[in-house]
Amino acid sequence: MPHASGYFRTTYGQDTRLVDTRTQRVAAGAFICALIALPWLANPFVLDLANQTLLAVVGAVALMLLTGFAGQISLGHAGLMAAGAFCTGILSKELGASIWLTLPASAATGALLGVIFGLPSLRLRGLYLAVSTLALHFIVIYLGHEYETRRGFSTGIVIDPPRVFGWELVDGRAWYVVFLIAAGGTVLIALNWLRSRTGRAWRALHGREAVAEALGIHVPLYKLLAFVASSTLTAMLGCLFAYYRGFVSGEAFSLFLSIQYVAMVIIGGMGSIAGAVMGAVFVTLFPYGIEWLVGLVSEALPEMRGLQNAVFAINYAAFGLVMILFLVFEPQGLAGIWRRVQAYFLMWPFKQKPLSGGGK
Amino acid sequence: MQLVVNIAVLASIYALISCGYVLIYRVSRVLSLAHGELMMLGAYGLVTTASLFAAQPGVAVAAAGLLAAATGALVYWVLMRRMTGEAVLAAVLATIALGILLRGAMVLIWSAQVQHPARMLGFDNPVVALPGGARLSTISLLLVGMNALVYLALWWFLTRTRYGIAMRAAGQNPRLAAQRGINLHAVYALAWGIAVFTGGLTGILIACDAGLDATMATIGLKAFPAALVGGLDSLVGALCGAVIVATAEVLLIHYVDPLLSDVVPFLVLTAMLIVRPWGLFGSREELDRV
Amino acid sequence: MNVAVPLLQVDAIEVAYHRVMTAVQGVSLQVGAGQLVALMGTNGAGKTTVLRAISGFLGLDDARVTAGSIRFMGESIENLAPHRVTALGIALVPERDKVFDNLTVAENLEAAATPRRADRAALLEMVHAQFPRLAQLAKREAGYLSGGERQMLAIGSALMCAPKLLLVDELSQGLAPLIVQELIHKLLALRDQLGLTILLVEQNARVALDAADHGYVIENGRIVLDGDAAKLGEHQDIREFYLGQGGAERKNYRDVKQYKRSRRWYG
Ligand SMILES: Nc1ncnc2c1ncn2[C@@H]1O[C@H](COP(=O)(O)OP(=O)(O)OP(=O)(O)O)[C@@H](O)[C@H]1O
Ligand SMILES: [Mg+2]
Repeated sequence: MPHASGYFRTTYGQDTRLVDTRTQRVAAGAFICALIALPWLANPFVLDLANQTLLAVVGAVALMLLTGFAGQISLGHAGLMAAGAFCTGILSKELGASIWLTLPASAATGALLGVIFGLPSLRLRGLYLAVSTLALHFIVIYLGHEYETRRGFSTGIVIDPPRVFGWELVDGRAWYVVFLIAAGGTVLIALNWLRSRTGRAWRALHGREAVAEALGIHVPLYKLLAFVASSTLTAMLGCLFAYYRGFVSGEAFSLFLSIQYVAMVIIGGMGSIAGAVMGAVFVTLFPYGIEWLVGLVSEALPEMRGLQNAVFAINYAAFGLVMILFLVFEPQGLAGIWRRVQAYFLMWPFKQKPLSGGGK
Repeated sequence: MQLVVNIAVLASIYALISCGYVLIYRVSRVLSLAHGELMMLGAYGLVTTASLFAAQPGVAVAAAGLLAAATGALVYWVLMRRMTGEAVLAAVLATIALGILLRGAMVLIWSAQVQHPARMLGFDNPVVALPGGARLSTISLLLVGMNALVYLALWWFLTRTRYGIAMRAAGQNPRLAAQRGINLHAVYALAWGIAVFTGGLTGILIACDAGLDATMATIGLKAFPAALVGGLDSLVGALCGAVIVATAEVLLIHYVDPLLSDVVPFLVLTAMLIVRPWGLFGSREELDRV
Repeated sequence: MNVAVPLLQVDAIEVAYHRVMTAVQGVSLQVGAGQLVALMGTNGAGKTTVLRAISGFLGLDDARVTAGSIRFMGESIENLAPHRVTALGIALVPERDKVFDNLTVAENLEAAATPRRADRAALLEMVHAQFPRLAQLAKREAGYLSGGERQMLAIGSALMCAPKLLLVDELSQGLAPLIVQELIHKLLALRDQLGLTILLVEQNARVALDAADHGYVIENGRIVLDGDAAKLGEHQDIREFYLGQGGAERKNYRDVKQYKRSRRWYG
């Protein structure tokens, strides 16, 4: 990413640094301050939005690791979240378990599912893999439903708010802190993974498996690792999600949710953690934006009142359209746009960057 | 006996839908995950044509069929054409996005209420009693017949006509096909047209039988394992896959648990992927290509 | 031969793969109507690239003619889609993947698109007359054909496109010398009987120069030598490096360098 106006790195240390210019350091500091200040400035609605966004960031980063870096497509993201959520629900209902038990248990479930459904990926590629993850989704949802009906929670499993160090997590602000830590932690872990041997191996096998193998990378191992890493994070996300909502039900984890996560990766831009974050923000806020627009329109044009009832459908259609537009016109996603804007200002008044090899 | 009939009907539905998946995949190496929605669109096309030609059911159905074929070609021409040369992944994601777009658009245009195009056309779908005590609706019978017809027609088209042979050639080696003067875009558009046409026809029949609302897309998704179990590049495979999946589904629903309905195809698929990932009739090399 | 109005005129073309890799540079050649022109060169010199540039690239090739022009019968055809080029009357017999393996021989011939001006039935009859073997093998899957039969089928199905100009890549690849002789004679016969023009890529300079009217030698993506086929056969460098007929004495290292230097002159 073009952070500086040229390539000024002279040591390996500089090469692996996360922030490398003063401006960047200042910007990152300001961003973190804004994030910390937010809960004191926002009303409950905005706070809820922020919480949803932070949750989505965790999921998007997890999927980005798998799809954007290791190059394995997955349509089972919602299924994995559901697995974490159901695991949490069942444990707290049956055993009255605390979050200190349910969170690791969810992680373990996620990891196990990652191994089970990652195994076919050793023999399958691309499309077939997407399909096996699709199967995962339906199977998990079915099992969850089955539990609900057997135990008589036909409308869903209600979960009590968790206690952490004597605090009861009910308030939006408290959750905000938890989610901020979760999202920040996920982003940092992901960034560090990617700068390590594991990350390089993932990128290599994304490029071409045979070549990666020839380079001495244990392809099956790293593929499986990508699956397990991603699904563990996702299942933990499901656990937090269940607590936040106080309620677990199969309906919350539709296939559309999986598609939304895939959309975050596409819209954000494949192969970029910053992209995953931007994609998560975009996709989470998108329906609210549409609702707002529809509100504006029906206020301005009373004969369009009917739109108000169709918000849901409009949201679907617009969402599909945006995904298509990104796929066709901006395959690099928001991260690509961001890079270009940055480069434009850094290079001004010149058009091309020296030593970037970026070409046109 | 009733079970056998149920299996035959369900297998026909799956087979009719999955031949669309197979056709598009075999010719252009793209998996269309919007097939369920496109099928639904075909059925909604009938809702519209039925209101235009309420007196002539034949005209209404024919017009809806043509509309579906045109839609398929249009989808290729407007969207998927831009995706050729891109990674396979991008093309699949584009079809997913298209599916979402269509879902929203269809609710906007036709509302989310259940529609009954058969009633609009004044067709009351009488129950037929078969020898042996089994009963099924006229439309279900029509579905089975249509399935046989579609597969025969496809077989004839692909092996006996010039354009069908050109289509197979393009699917096998697009570069050589283009060098032999075959217009790839035309072939791909034709494949999409046929696939959406058969899908639309299925959608129309299902809608006439059981009414039409947003759940129809799920049927499209459930037919997908059938295509995969048979092997994505083989029509015979799609047929066998449909029979296997339908048999498993009907028997498990009947003897074990009705809730299983949505999972069975995927359970069969998972078993298949573990044992023989390239499908019953698919070729092993295919695995490396996708 | 009539070279005044060339059927095909390639003018200083440059081809880049994946937008970055320039495979050929400043290649110019002319093929007059009714000629058989040979294009020779070592592995990776860019022969296939030149032929593919003439017959057109697909999106999935990710290749483009980035400079220069290609004119066929007065029409500009660079970067035209392959099927349009074929419709104009240029058919390619590619180097690899030259037949549809899972289709039968008859279906292979059937799959080729014939321009409207031509009569399919007559063309098929002509192909069967030229290659009687193909009629015998009609029901056989093309994947099971021998190398020679495969090459015949490839030429036959190219002829089904009713071409005026036939591009043949590596006629002799993997074939016994006797069969190569046979096929070369077939090509010459086709040229004379059908008024075909042929651009032939060959590694085997002996075979190529014996049959051709004119020859081009390509090295590292540039034309380094060209001339009348008979004269080219006499050229010292060609004799030495392509025909293996050096002098009796062994060359020492300095002379090889000398050759390299002289080669640069032509480039
Ligand atoms: N699809 C491709 N992508 C990138 N580079 C390519 C591609 N095809 C060919 N090249 C490169 O272009 C150059 C010319 O290749 P070309 O195939 O034209 O050679 P050739 O003369 O036909 O060789 P041969 O006699 O081995 O067939 C080579 O350096 C080759 O590596
Ligand atoms: Mg070559």
